[in-house]
Amino acid sequence: MPARQLVLDLPHRAAQARGDFLVAPCNEAAVAWIDRWPDWPAPGLALYGPAGSGKSHLAAVWQSRSGAVAVSAAALRGGRIEARYCVFEEGEALLRDRGAAEALFHLYNRIAARRGHLLVTGAEPPARWTLPLADLASRLRALPAVEIRPPDDAMLSGLLAKLFRDRQLAVPGEVILYLVQRIERSCAAVARTVEALDRASLAERRPITLPFARATLGFA
Amino acid sequence: MTLTGNGNGNGNNRDVSNERSFGGERPNALELAWVRVRAHLRSEYGDAAFKNWLRSLTLLRASGDKVVLAVTSKFWRDWIAAHYGDRLVALWKAENLGFNGVEIVVNAVEAKEPRPRGDALEMPQRETDEARPQPAPAAMNGEEPRLGDVQNLCTPLDPRLTFETFVIGKPNEFAHAAALRVAEADEIPFNPLFLYGGVGLGKTHLMHATAWRLRMRNPARRVMFLSSETFMHLFVKAVRYKDTHAFKEQFRSVDVLMIDDVQFFGEKSATQEELFHTFNALVDHRRQVIISADKPPVDLQGIEERLKSRLGSGVVAQLNPTNYELRLSILQAKAEQKGVAIPSKVTEFLAHKITSNIRELEGAMTRLFAHATLLNSREISIDMAQEVLQDLLRANDRHVTIDDIQKRVCEHYNIKMADLLSPRRARAVARPRQVAMYLAKQLTTRSLPEIGRKFGGRDHTTIMHGVRKIEELRGGDPSLNEDIEILTRSLTR
Repeated sequence: MPARQLVLDLPHRAAQARGDFLVAPCNEAAVAWIDRWPDWPAPGLALYGPAGSGKSHLAAVWQSRSGAVAVSAAALRGGRIEARYCVFEEGEALLRDRGAAEALFHLYNRIAARRGHLLVTGAEPPARWTLPLADLASRLRALPAVEIRPPDDAMLSGLLAKLFRDRQLAVPGEVILYLVQRIERSCAAVARTVEALDRASLAERRPITLPFARATLGFA
Repeated sequence: MTLTGNGNGNGNNRDVSNERSFGGERPNALELAWVRVRAHLRSEYGDAAFKNWLRSLTLLRASGDKVVLAVTSKFWRDWIAAHYGDRLVALWKAENLGFNGVEIVVNAVEAKEPRPRGDALEMPQRETDEARPQPAPAAMNGEEPRLGDVQNLCTPLDPRLTFETFVIGKPNEFAHAAALRVAEADEIPFNPLFLYGGVGLGKTHLMHATAWRLRMRNPARRVMFLSSETFMHLFVKAVRYKDTHAFKEQFRSVDVLMIDDVQFFGEKSATQEELFHTFNALVDHRRQVIISADKPPVDLQGIEERLKSRLGSGVVAQLNPTNYELRLSILQAKAEQKGVAIPSKVTEFLAHKITSNIRELEGAMTRLFAHATLLNSREISIDMAQEVLQDLLRANDRHVTIDDIQKRVCEHYNIKMADLLSPRRARAVARPRQVAMYLAKQLTTRSLPEIGRKFGGRDHTTIMHGVRKIEELRGGDPSLNEDIEILTRSLTR
């Protein structure tokens, strides 16, 4: 599985509406920017944060709201794209791809001229992308860049609860609070934990309780 | 989601129809009650649970005999309803305000009506439609405009980019004067006007400003302003549709032709040929041509000599990198334009820290304004600037080592590390070596002898010579300059 695709996205392909997005302090700035569209002060926006932090989900929310076209590096090289609203999610793919960078540069110019918007996402902010084209680099660096931070407690709780519920598992709130204090603080770890508990609970035919979670995950 | 006997919550009810609005007396009571309910919840479930689950719950309004609360996602709504619903209803009933139930709605901006942009569109000639986002159809290589629509492919003029908003300083005063001269002249003063400069220094601003002024002074004049990319695109299409005659006619009938970023013409010889002929035809007919690029004509790569000499036959004006004073004036002008008060300490901080170019400087300012006025309503301070612009500021602060520099230079010039460190003096390795020395001097705090040791045990005078050599060359060699910019950026990202 490609590292950048979130596990937790897989069962929820369809549920990429804004209402399905968990808003927590770690991503509220990003959500606020998406929500205030089309009142963006620049020809675009850059969202950045670690894999699995929800960039693609937010990008999809914006895409459905704006009717934006999702653009890949391959599509950029393939020909002239005329859309006024575009999402480009392969920021880091540009680093060694002069052809795509040049095409994105021209696309950016057309979007800016028509007062459209370009949403770019990546693990790092554009200021840290080493782009092969200075003209593009400076344009992207001038965009508002908003970070989605690694998940905080509220986010992890919400995610645990959501993933348990998606698997039809009734898990008491206390178990979730217990897990939040102990698991690695990433969305990927949440997904792994839920998976492990689900499997164990199925195998042993026992409900997920505090003692069960403690024993299964080997927490003291 | 409604939490009472009547269970007709339909899942995505963002709005409540039978809404009861209150004058002045009830909302206060409502808000006070909400404070009490929250306090109960917090004490009953504990701080951690309250913060994790109930923090996002907000009071929206009263509706009939129900209290409407809002959360930010469907998931929170379901979770809170399932785990805390009964308690919420009981607590509200206990408030004795006549409530019989609680409704939780998702307060996400799901299908908000796009608002027109906030920017003032004070200049004429811009249709209001253009300023309002509409869901755009996915037009990918599908229906392209025919040649006849060339006017649609012209760069629309940006009302913000005028001479009035162009901030003049030492680095750009000559280019500004030259552009103004062309824009205000009744007779063509020189042809062409060739504007060049590094990234983000105001070439495009001057182009737009010139086009505006030309149009304003004489609306009948046919001004065609387009990017080099659009020019190429149109030409390639004309060739494909065997319609080059119309293409030629289109371009040769204008009064003023303006082409932005001609450096992208490099290596596209058929298009160059066409530009050359168009150019000659226009100049012969006493029509103004204005060109912009990132380098002076002689340094354009992949452009034929005769075109280069043609491009350089009028006035060639450079937009130089900014200095501190110009950056400061730009920031002040921008703040004034936006009507935002910004402490001089902050403008000084930005002018000092963001030195790359005007576009990034203005971008930084825009981000600060957006943050201050629209997201948080906070005062602009240096702390806030540091927080909001951390990605930009930190990008310049990274610790760079000589090893990093050598490695990156080898990659960039595609040479071997052994060659870089060897005594070989062939230019293909000597120049990159000097670039690496120069960068080591600029980007690290190491002494010249230390740098010398890292470069195969060279003497510090050799390093000094290399550094000086690059300093000299940088001024007159844009491609070397660009190499250094790319390397610096990649090393300090």
